[in-house]
Amino acid sequence: MAKILYVLTNGPDTPERLYAPFILGSTARAMDVEASIFFVIKGIMVMKKGVAETIKIGAFPSLKDVIDQAASAGVKFYVCEQSTQLLGIPRGDFIDAAKISGAATLNDLALDADAVLTF
Amino acid sequence: MPQVITADAELNCIGIYCPGPIAMTRDKIDTMSTGQVLKVDTDDPSAEEDLPRWAKRTGHEVMNIEKSGATMTFYIRRVK
Repeated sequence: MAKILYVLTNGPDTPERLYAPFILGSTARAMDVEASIFFVIKGIMVMKKGVAETIKIGAFPSLKDVIDQAASAGVKFYVCEQSTQLLGIPRGDFIDAAKISGAATLNDLALDADAVLTF
Repeated sequence: MPQVITADAELNCIGIYCPGPIAMTRDKIDTMSTGQVLKVDTDDPSAEEDLPRWAKRTGHEVMNIEKSGATMTFYIRRVK
């Protein structure tokens, strides 16, 4: 099965950049493509509990709804917890679907993927 | 009965976060002989995903992972 890795580096201060990885990931699953999203730098904020519920743009559903849809479709979420230290925020407190991981995992996922898209 | 694994060397990575445990494990296992087993203690939650991927990439074998609270203990055999 083909694999796509999406990397989200942006956070809630640019909400218009946050939807694409989840929508693309859900669509990838419908195309029988394995989809993973790696959250790093500000991107980890959308995996913090309670944050996605606060993000909604125009006629789009809330980011929480889009995240739940992607998770249900089988998109895998990986969070760089060490980014919390970069941002000066507390460790942990991520949604249950998020798998805490790090540098070796991002490198490994990128090498394994047939395509890597960064947002 | 659980398998009893005897380690030839131990590495304490408690309190050290990504990518520290990966780099330390690499440095330590490079000093060991093929077939020897390295025991790595870590409380970095990233290690659960990172160390097995590192081992697969570098051709080493994660023989066992034990969890006790926030601490994980990896037994890694140097394969080559």
